[in-house]
Amino acid sequence: MSVSVRQPANPPDALRFNEIVGLDVAKQALLFLAVDPSLAGVALAAATGSGKSTLARAFAALLPDNAPFVELPLNVTEDRLIGGLDLEATLARGERVVEPGLLARAHGGVLYIDGLNLLDPGVAAHVMDAMARGIVQLERDGVSAVHPARFRLIGTFDPGDGAVTGSLLDRIGLIIPFAPQGDAAVRAEVVRRNLRRADTPDAAGDDAMLRALIELAREQLPHVAIRDEQVDALARAALSLGVEGNRVDVFAVKAALASAALAGRADVSDADLEIAARLVLLPRATRSPEPAQVEQKAQPAPNVAPNPDRPDADDPASSPADQKQTPQQIEELLMSAVEADLPADLSNLPFAAQRRGKTGSRGVALNYRRGRFVRAIPGPLRGRKIALLPTLLSAAPWQSLRAASTGGSTGSPLRSASTGSAAGAVVRITRDDIRIKQFRDKAGALFVFVVDASGSMALNRMREAKGATIRLLQNAYVHRDQVSLIAFRGQAAQVLLPPSQSVDRAKRELDVLPTGGGTPLASALLLAWQIVRQTRSRGVEQATLVLMTDGRANVGLGSGQAGPTGASTSSASTGSADAVGADREQIARQIRHLAHRIACDRINAVVIDTQAGYLSRGEARALAGYLNGRYVYLPNAKAHQIAEVI
Amino acid sequence: MSRPTIARQPAVEPAFPFTAIVGQDEMKLCLLLNVIDPRIGGVLVMGHRGTGKSTTVRALAAVLPSIIRVAGDPYNRAPEDIHDAPPTARANGHAGVSSNTHRLDKLGDRPKPKIERVPVPVIDLPLGATEDRVCGTIDIEQALTRGVKAFEPGLLAQANRGFLYIDEVNLLDDHLVDVLLDVAASGWNVVEREGVSVRHPARFVLVGSGNPEEGDLRPQLLDRFGMHARITTITDLALRVEIVKRRRAFDADPAAFAAAWDREQRALRNRITRAQKAVAGVELPDPVLTRIAQICMHLGIDGHRGELTLARAAAALAAFNHSPRVAWQDVVAVAPACLRHRLRRDPLETVDSDEKIERALQACATEP
Repeated sequence: MSVSVRQPANPPDALRFNEIVGLDVAKQALLFLAVDPSLAGVALAAATGSGKSTLARAFAALLPDNAPFVELPLNVTEDRLIGGLDLEATLARGERVVEPGLLARAHGGVLYIDGLNLLDPGVAAHVMDAMARGIVQLERDGVSAVHPARFRLIGTFDPGDGAVTGSLLDRIGLIIPFAPQGDAAVRAEVVRRNLRRADTPDAAGDDAMLRALIELAREQLPHVAIRDEQVDALARAALSLGVEGNRVDVFAVKAALASAALAGRADVSDADLEIAARLVLLPRATRSPEPAQVEQKAQPAPNVAPNPDRPDADDPASSPADQKQTPQQIEELLMSAVEADLPADLSNLPFAAQRRGKTGSRGVALNYRRGRFVRAIPGPLRGRKIALLPTLLSAAPWQSLRAASTGGSTGSPLRSASTGSAAGAVVRITRDDIRIKQFRDKAGALFVFVVDASGSMALNRMREAKGATIRLLQNAYVHRDQVSLIAFRGQAAQVLLPPSQSVDRAKRELDVLPTGGGTPLASALLLAWQIVRQTRSRGVEQATLVLMTDGRANVGLGSGQAGPTGASTSSASTGSADAVGADREQIARQIRHLAHRIACDRINAVVIDTQAGYLSRGEARALAGYLNGRYVYLPNAKAHQIAEVI
Repeated sequence: MSRPTIARQPAVEPAFPFTAIVGQDEMKLCLLLNVIDPRIGGVLVMGHRGTGKSTTVRALAAVLPSIIRVAGDPYNRAPEDIHDAPPTARANGHAGVSSNTHRLDKLGDRPKPKIERVPVPVIDLPLGATEDRVCGTIDIEQALTRGVKAFEPGLLAQANRGFLYIDEVNLLDDHLVDVLLDVAASGWNVVEREGVSVRHPARFVLVGSGNPEEGDLRPQLLDRFGMHARITTITDLALRVEIVKRRRAFDADPAAFAAAWDREQRALRNRITRAQKAVAGVELPDPVLTRIAQICMHLGIDGHRGELTLARAAAALAAFNHSPRVAWQDVVAVAPACLRHRLRRDPLETVDSDEKIERALQACATEP
């Protein structure tokens, strides 16, 4: 990806907004954004090559005053993003000159991010901060500055590539969660229009018309009124779809207003509400509307008082008699229109997917060798990488002082650079000036393999389970992840291998793992949870439990162990022997609690069911449910397929 | 003067008025109590996205009373602070630098400094801030133009006697967390870098906010926060409609909206000022104090920070409500926010921490 540059307008040979077909919903969303910049942005789900970059550029061309179009490369460095000291100009002028970053350069225009979900979390945090505050606050490298940064964000993401950070997506008003269908006719039309470019002079006219339309809608916008019960209905719809946060109501209302303004109306129609719900609420759904909601509606609607405390000036005759609908009725209409768009599997939606903890981000740690260059810190070189610019920067202010006192009367001797050339031309660098590079690297992830070695497993394909585990271990090694191995049989679980990168050791332990005895599943879960927490305190955030079991727990934790904290139960491998007598109810409760805790701590889980189908009572599947994790049925799956799942 | 070439605060539009923020009462109360008594130790606000965390914190500045400081002092020191403990500053190492180029020393020598009234600073520590700007460093411009080595104070200096706000605190770089822990513990910022050696007061109320889904806070940092406010999505429909209305009104004309809320804002500011004056005289009856200790014991909280925070927060609340002494319900009102982040985490625990605190409160209320 090229380094982004400010592009004043659409290049003359580019496609124009109206020529881009097949992205109708997206275009509608972009028009709303053009009318009301406080909608913040449009996020488009799209596979590569579906014309979204073209669309974003065409959009920028529609904005007034040669609005800048800034493309944010995914590998952007922090100083390019938020700005920093312009060393050259600073030295030339003898005063600090700050170079604004990309966020500030997008001010008044469009910030385009191709691959929202691939954005480094640190970069995403800066983008969010700018969106929230409309400014970029710079406090680095001796520079303190504030730049305005109000931009319209257009971002794309390929849902197949992992989820977008939830809080980033939350700040983007309009979301199109599904890629447009690969309709052959539409594609053909795109090609045709591309070929026909040279002889379609009316496209420019279309653009002018659109620009005028946007201008009119912008003037209309302050005059559009929305009724309280309509706002209420949108809030209801947000609630019944399980949308998090209150910002969304504001976005939904603004989208409805923009829609009405574009249609030149002064009031909000059902169609406006519908499109607002489709672009704002629906993509944020985390659950299907509950059937209970229907019963509620059937009841006589209690007159929802429209805020008696603050009667506003714009209130008079706001609800014409013929439109007297209750919020419930409006919401019902709204939901019935929109509900068909809800996918059967809600996890296809970006926010619902996050509930399942599938975000692909792995922990990051600072080091001096590899990864993304984060910052320069003073310190002795000792084989680490020198950060040249910061080093020169720190030496720069002293050059005149040092030149005046040639010969080393100052504290540190002038070493490196002054040797061998004319004294006037060298840069005098002392040890104090040296800056070394610090990098941020993906810290890898922790995989905890929890293998059931109980008697019931001996019957159930222990060999396959071991094979699958070893396969996974090798896969983990390739990714430089850490692995840990826990086996459970008899009275308690046991750590065979604490977190390490030694796959060989894990294999050896697995090979000699005996089977037989009870199934102390709760003990295994507790142990796994503790290991993850310990590893997290060392900076490895991402953790996955891989449970290889039939889920038939029959040994609980010792009854005396329910109270104390995690630290004191680290002896779980030895204690809890007296729990055999604990009844199944108790054991099941312990497992549910532990599984819930594991799910709450955002530990991913995969349960690989080893039970032969005709014997299964669904325990393993239930366990996967408690853990909020995935479920794989081993007898159907080959080891390498499982590896892909994880 | 060693001011940056670009002004720190350009014409930023007025912030959303604090008093116009709908709901989220716990967060608002926690912030106000910390204004009344900064020794409570700060607020951590954790909650869902889109619930107005940062809006509320940034709105706080407008209702804060002013402070008196030595005119132009980059450390916001009160006149008495200057006589008590002049910051030590000494430049060393390079030729052409002598200690009298340093402004600090001049200030310290002055017998009767001029004073001025300024708003309580609310300083944003943005993501991506580097240590040199947080702690302060040499002023590069002065070094370039005049060849002198002068200390340029950082964000910690600006935040002295005010608030330091960190949005997305759980994403803060580890090395900055270390710096903050250090300074928060001692109240002093010690800079030893690039040949500059400075020590200046840095006492501030730490306010952090974040979304728990994005990552955990380091336990040491969590422990630093006096109170922990939890916020969730507002589900009350009438409130939600009201939020939308106010937001629209604000977006349409921020200045007019601010003007409409000016009376409430001023009333709140006055109430805070009165409470600040009263809080030192608020009486903490022994039976209440005993019960505060009992709650903390009951909940198995380590150390004494829990008791201290709870007592101070309850006293601040009493002062805020014009009450001369702490009543049991003051304790009950602030206990969850003071204690919930101090409970030990238990893997088998199904009871929510707030519920545990609730039970402890009930148990202690009934004890003799």
